[in-house]
Amino acid sequence: MKSDALATPHVAVHRRRRGAAARLFDIFVRRYLALPTGVAIALVWANVAPERYFVFAHSLAFPVNEIGMAFFVGLIVQEIAEAVMPGGALHSWRRWSLPLLAAAGGIAGSAGFYLAYVHGRYESVLEAGWPIACAIDIAAAYYVLKTILPRSGALPFVLLLAIATDLFGMLIIAPQYQTATVHGGGLGVMLVALGIAGAMRALRVRAFWPYLAICGTLSWIALYREGLHPAFALVPIVPFLPHEPRRLDLLADPPDDDAVHHFEHEWNTLVQGILFLFGLVNGGVLLRGYDTGTWALLLGALVGRPIGILTAVRAAVAAGWHLPRGLGWRQLVVAALASSSGFTFALFFATGILSTGPLLAQLTIGAVGTAAGSLLAIGAARLFRVGRFAR
Amino acid sequence: MRRVALVLLTAWLATARLTPAEQNAARAVEPLPTRPDSLKFAVLGDNGTGEKPEYDVGQQMAAARRTFPFDMVLMLGDNMYGRQDPQDFVTKFERPYAALLQAGVLFYATLGNHDDQNNRFYKAFNMGGERYFTFVKKNVRFFVLDTNQLDPKQQAWFDEALQRSDDQWRICFFHHPIYSDGGRHGSDVSLRVILEPLFVKYGIDVVFSGHDHVYERLKPQKGITYFVSGSGGQLRRGDVRPSGLTAAYFDQDQSFMLVEVAGDEMFFEAVSRSGATVDSGVIHREPVGSRNSR
Repeated sequence: MKSDALATPHVAVHRRRRGAAARLFDIFVRRYLALPTGVAIALVWANVAPERYFVFAHSLAFPVNEIGMAFFVGLIVQEIAEAVMPGGALHSWRRWSLPLLAAAGGIAGSAGFYLAYVHGRYESVLEAGWPIACAIDIAAAYYVLKTILPRSGALPFVLLLAIATDLFGMLIIAPQYQTATVHGGGLGVMLVALGIAGAMRALRVRAFWPYLAICGTLSWIALYREGLHPAFALVPIVPFLPHEPRRLDLLADPPDDDAVHHFEHEWNTLVQGILFLFGLVNGGVLLRGYDTGTWALLLGALVGRPIGILTAVRAAVAAGWHLPRGLGWRQLVVAALASSSGFTFALFFATGILSTGPLLAQLTIGAVGTAAGSLLAIGAARLFRVGRFAR
Repeated sequence: MRRVALVLLTAWLATARLTPAEQNAARAVEPLPTRPDSLKFAVLGDNGTGEKPEYDVGQQMAAARRTFPFDMVLMLGDNMYGRQDPQDFVTKFERPYAALLQAGVLFYATLGNHDDQNNRFYKAFNMGGERYFTFVKKNVRFFVLDTNQLDPKQQAWFDEALQRSDDQWRICFFHHPIYSDGGRHGSDVSLRVILEPLFVKYGIDVVFSGHDHVYERLKPQKGITYFVSGSGGQLRRGDVRPSGLTAAYFDQDQSFMLVEVAGDEMFFEAVSRSGATVDSGVIHREPVGSRNSR
């Protein structure tokens, strides 16, 4: 009794600490802060002790970029699959048309400005980096718009635009995987993976881990052997996973606690941990490594994309399309700027397209710099007095 | 007492005001031996501007060849700046080095960040259409890398090429320096952590790079001597930030290098656009096994 009485305050403090740690962790997961935190640590580390940092980053690059990021890509595809399936928020193709046109305009704008700058500087070696300029950070756009334009119709518009853009980018970078050798024989392994996944689906296996552990692993081996980016290993497996239609609330915790959503919660937490490592391994560059690629990427993302999006939407409206309800031109400018941050996806695309070297460093600095797009969106919302800044 | 302090201050200021060329000139110049059976070559980086300094350096190289008959030139990347149309190959390469080309001197190029990747097909660059390649001259094997991107395929190729080499000297050249005190770019540490272990493991003796528009020789790192020679046409005056790694440097004018490999010794000179020798010395080849202890 005496010992309990003595222990109680200690236990309470311990619980409070655990509670604070859990809350902090929760904020990191919900606010999508894992990757920026990893990048911030990496940037400081790389510029303070570069040799130690790069040895560390080099040793972890393969497991993080090629294995861990398969879960990130898988989660994105899972989210999209649930949103576009019957009953999902994006099932109607009519909802896609204007954001799709805007995405095409954004891609043309960002790629066009990027390539124009690179050509203007006669550095054609940077041409290959144009998909990096097109990348949109879905989470950044989501949180910025949810904060400043929560009820304008801008949120689903930009999310659709971002999904379409990043899907396009993934299709471009998947075959550009840099590998030393192509072993072949991957097609057979992939067929086995798909066969097992199909059998599990037919047997109504509801647990996710067998799909990931067996089929995902086989798919990873298949892509790797064929010289394709193995981070896309879960893409062909995701359609076999148990799905439930959901509203468009990407990367947010689903409210239900059934088996499907429980798994997604765990998956999301795992992915946040991987994104932290991804930022830590890939975000560290010497700040004096900026060069032409940095400016080209910033120009493409922060200027080219908003101009491309707005031009495409203007052309579509002129051709008879209607802006979504609650979305005026001022809000659209803010939405276009909110989509200018490439950050997570830009870093992912950069590591998929380029290998170690100064080109990757230049574009990494640019990718991190595009995070300024979120600030531009907030500034524009304040200037135009829209959303939460409306009087 | 005040007078002593004034004298000391004046003496210190006079020393501090010495330009790098003057400081280097204080060192004894090691003349190139110009032995008949040695391998002689020149080294040039970041040259292809098509402007007067590039032409001046070309003339100086031709003049140097009269007393030091080198047969080849290593080009360390950024061989062409700006537009790279057929006419540019004339004004930025063929004319500045016309005397050398007419004398049959061979140029071996590596790609820099300003070079069009298709320039590897330009015959006079002797790249055989490859981004990375190797060739042998006498007792020296040269490894040429494309450090714009050190992709896994290139790393695997390099590892294999090093394993196969049993040549007496192994010299590597590429554009981006892994050791440099250049203020604008400096050392590319991300490349270093990949390349240096291979250099040490397989016994690379000397490495030449450009990118920083200066001349610098670094103190041997793990037994390997690194040169930055990136002022063959471009110049970033006063850009070197000397550190504990710096052995010698020159950042006041354009420059190129003359190198002679004779037996176990490699003699070198860095020559300015005006023909002054701004650094010189000799490197004694070390057995591979003795390097790791350094």
